[in-house]
This record gives sequence, structure tokens and C-alpha cells, in this order.
Amino acid sequence: MSLAILCRRAFFDLRQNFFGQLITTMVVSLSILIFAFFSLLYFNLQDFVDRFGTELGLTIFLTKEAPKDRIPYLYQKLTDLSEVEKVTYISSEEAFRRLEHFLKEEQDVLEGVDAEFLPPSFEVQINRAVFQLDRIKQLAGEIDKWPEVSKVQFGQEWIDRLHVFSGLVRTIVTIIGILLLFTAAFVVTNTIKLNVYARKEELEIMRLVGATNMFIQGPFLVEAFLQGLLGSSLALGIVFAGYSFLQGFETRFELLRGMNICFIPWHYTFAIIASSVLLCVMGTALAMRRFLRL
Amino acid sequence: MISLELSIIRFKDVFKKYSPENVIFSGIDLEIEKGEFVFLTGPSGIGKSTMLRILFCAERPTSGEIWVDGVALSSLSNAQVPYLRRKIGVIFQDFKLLSNRTIFDNVALSLEVIGLGKKQAEQRVMQVLEGVGLKGKMSQYPLRLSGGEQQRVAIARAVVNRPAIILADEPTGNLDLQRTEEVMMLMEELNARGATIIFATHDERLFENTHRRVLRFHNGKIRI
Repeated sequence: MSLAILCRRAFFDLRQNFFGQLITTMVVSLSILIFAFFSLLYFNLQDFVDRFGTELGLTIFLTKEAPKDRIPYLYQKLTDLSEVEKVTYISSEEAFRRLEHFLKEEQDVLEGVDAEFLPPSFEVQINRAVFQLDRIKQLAGEIDKWPEVSKVQFGQEWIDRLHVFSGLVRTIVTIIGILLLFTAAFVVTNTIKLNVYARKEELEIMRLVGATNMFIQGPFLVEAFLQGLLGSSLALGIVFAGYSFLQGFETRFELLRGMNICFIPWHYTFAIIASSVLLCVMGTALAMRRFLRL
Repeated sequence: MISLELSIIRFKDVFKKYSPENVIFSGIDLEIEKGEFVFLTGPSGIGKSTMLRILFCAERPTSGEIWVDGVALSSLSNAQVPYLRRKIGVIFQDFKLLSNRTIFDNVALSLEVIGLGKKQAEQRVMQVLEGVGLKGKMSQYPLRLSGGEQQRVAIARAVVNRPAIILADEPTGNLDLQRTEEVMMLMEELNARGATIIFATHDERLFENTHRRVLRFHNGKIRI
């Protein structure tokens, strides 16, 4: 059977059983919609946790004895690290100026104090793309061993809390995600099964007139492919519309500004569509199996 | 395995049982010649339909061998069964038509399955529908037709790909006397054109005055 005949038969069947096909596509769409909204929530939470971690950054304090001519070398050494996004050198004078600014009216307490009493430092911003909590901890330990470095500060307590929090959230989200995925798979395969059962007479008659299993199954599989593709695309389209709507809010309202809502990563989006198609095709093939025996 | 016999259908020591208490056939030996028209009779539930179902491979016998058009059914794999079914036209009491397809599409289904070209298929369907007197109703749906007309559509579907064998399972069971006569005439016509027909019925009136062979089921055996 050629592809053209197969598609012609599939579209003929789609027209003939339009209502059943529509219901199945809607069920696929709703199931994927719930899962996709949940994924959107998950990725935004993940993004928030990652961003929060990188914004903490590292502060590297140098010893007072560190020779000034070593500063450019250290700057370059830090910049060359793959985990580092940006390095800013804060001289003792700059640090003193910041302290004065911080103390405002009470800066008199600094009177007679030499700017050199504050150590020079580097402020290091972490690269978001390679951010990993354990690696940052390890990096801080390595830099701390450099002879010119007196101390490395990176908000250890905050990062540890964040680590525990993100781990917990990830576990909860993964469990709920798996449950949702199973629910979606169950609902979709059962709807498909009902749809196939509703057409069992048609299958029986086709077998009776000598149709091969491929001839019978072919259009059903094409229909299942379309149901999976259309259902999941529709669901993701709705989620994208919701995301765009929220982005509009983000630019209009001060409170939401800086939230940086992100969409589900594209490769994940394609994985959802591919899984949905696979689920529908496999569900149909399994539902038809008992009708294709002798 | 190829049989060298001239008979188109041959049963050799065929048993069929669903359980030790439920034995349908116990050692059936039977030969039906090419072009023969035989009646298969006996009370309801005796095994007439089972015999037909075994012939088009919807069921397998428990033991024994059956040859259809020279082919031993036990040698057929599941994938080969559809090709055997294309040689056999089957007609049922309940017509088994697709209610969401037109009369034309119902009949054309048999040709679509064998991959016949659209034009050729169209010609063949028209010809057969004309033969059963339904050419004018080809774009109607089955439920709009009378029982007799629906059975004629079922007959058209069964014969449109010119099968060598026609199995009719109580095809007149749901029809009044006049429609029954119409169906019988059609069957006679098909037989006259060379088709071998096995006609299962419990209605003895249909073969009262016939010269045809009548096969009677009795205690799992066939009496002629």
C-alpha cells in the first residue's frame, strides 16, 4: 500500500469518524496541557534557583602583602576559569569609598583610618550556563589555597539552604511529574482504546474481506500520529500563549519586573510532542492487537 | 501442502471442541467439488457457523486437516490468511455492513483491500450493483435500505472480487418470503457463473424440492 493511498484512507476515516477523533485529540490535548503547565512551573522554579545561586557570586579577599604587580595576573587567572562570567577588581581605596558611602553620616568613625586597612578583593560573577553548586564550593576551596588569597566568601549558608531547597523541590516536582505523566498516558490510551472499540465492527469487516493487518492498521496509526501531533501542539500553543500573556504583565507591572519568566526549553518541547505522538501510536497499536488476531 | 484432489474443499478427520464436554465436530470427512452448491443444515447451535468460520480461518480446528482450493489450512500462517479470504466471499444473516459508508463504498471495500485501481474498481462495483438491482441506490447509506436490499449489498460485497467460494451463513434468516426468494435467485445465478456455494440454513423450505446436496449435522458428524 503506497503512502498516498494510506494517507487518503486515513483522511477518509478522519472525516467519517470526525467526532471520535476530535474527542481523542481533545483528551490528548488536555492531558498534555496539564503536564506542560507543570513543566513550565518546574523550569521557572529551576531557573529562579539557578539565577539566585549565580547572583550570590564569590568575593576573593587578597592578603595585604600581595604584590600589586600580581593583580593583573590573578585577574587573568580568574577570567580564564570556565565557571567565571565576570571579574571586577576592588582596590583598597575603592573598598574604603564603598564603606564611606555605606556609613553615610556616620563616616566620621573612619577618620584617621588609612584606606589600606581594607584588603583589596575580586568580585566574581558565576557563569549561569555552567552553574553547579558543588563545583562552586570546590572552586572556592581551590582559590582559597592561592598564596595571594586570604579568604574566599560566597554566602556558604545561603547556598547550602538553596541546595537543600532546590533538591527538595526537584524531588517533589519529579514525583508529581511522573504521576502526571502516568495519568496522561492512562487517560490517552484508554480513550484511544474506546475509539478503537467503537470501530471494532469495521475492523472485523475489513478482516473478513481479506485485508492484511498493515492495510487495517495503517490508517489508524496515521490518525494516531495526527492526534498526538495536533493534541500536543495545541496544548503547548496554549501554554505558550499563557507564557506570552504573563510576559506582558512582567513588563507592565513593577512588582513582576525582574522575574524573568522563561518558557519550557525547546528540546523539551519537542520531546513532549514526540512522546505524545509515540504514546498515541503505541496506544493504538496495542488497542488494535486483539482485533488483528485470527 | 497441495492436494491433488479435484474437490475445492476437503475435510479429513476434522475435530473441533471447545472443551471435553463441548464437542462440535468429531471426525468429519467431506469433499465439496468446484462449482457445487451445497446446503448445510441442522438446528441452531449445532456447528454450521463454526464450520464456515473454520473455512475462512476465523477459527482453527482442534485436529484434522482441511484443504481449500488446494491449500492445507494448517500450513497457512496468520499473515497468509487474508490472501485465502480473498478467494472466499462471506455473507451473514446480520449483513455486516458499515453504516457510515455508502452502498458504493461498502461494496468497493473488497476491491480496495486487493489494491484494484480506482477506475477498474468503480466499473466493477457498478456492474455488481446493477446485477443485484441496487445501482440506483449506490450513494445511499445501508440503514436507509430495507433488510432485503441490505442483504443484496452484502452479497454484492462478497462477490465483487469474483471469489471461487461463497459461504452464506443464514443469509435469509432476517428476510421475508419474497426477499428470501430474491436472495436465493441471486445465489443460483452466482453458482451458474461458476462459484462454489455453501449455504448454511436451518430453514428446510429452502431446499425442499432441490436437487442440490444437503449436508445435515448430527451428533458432531455430517450425514448426506
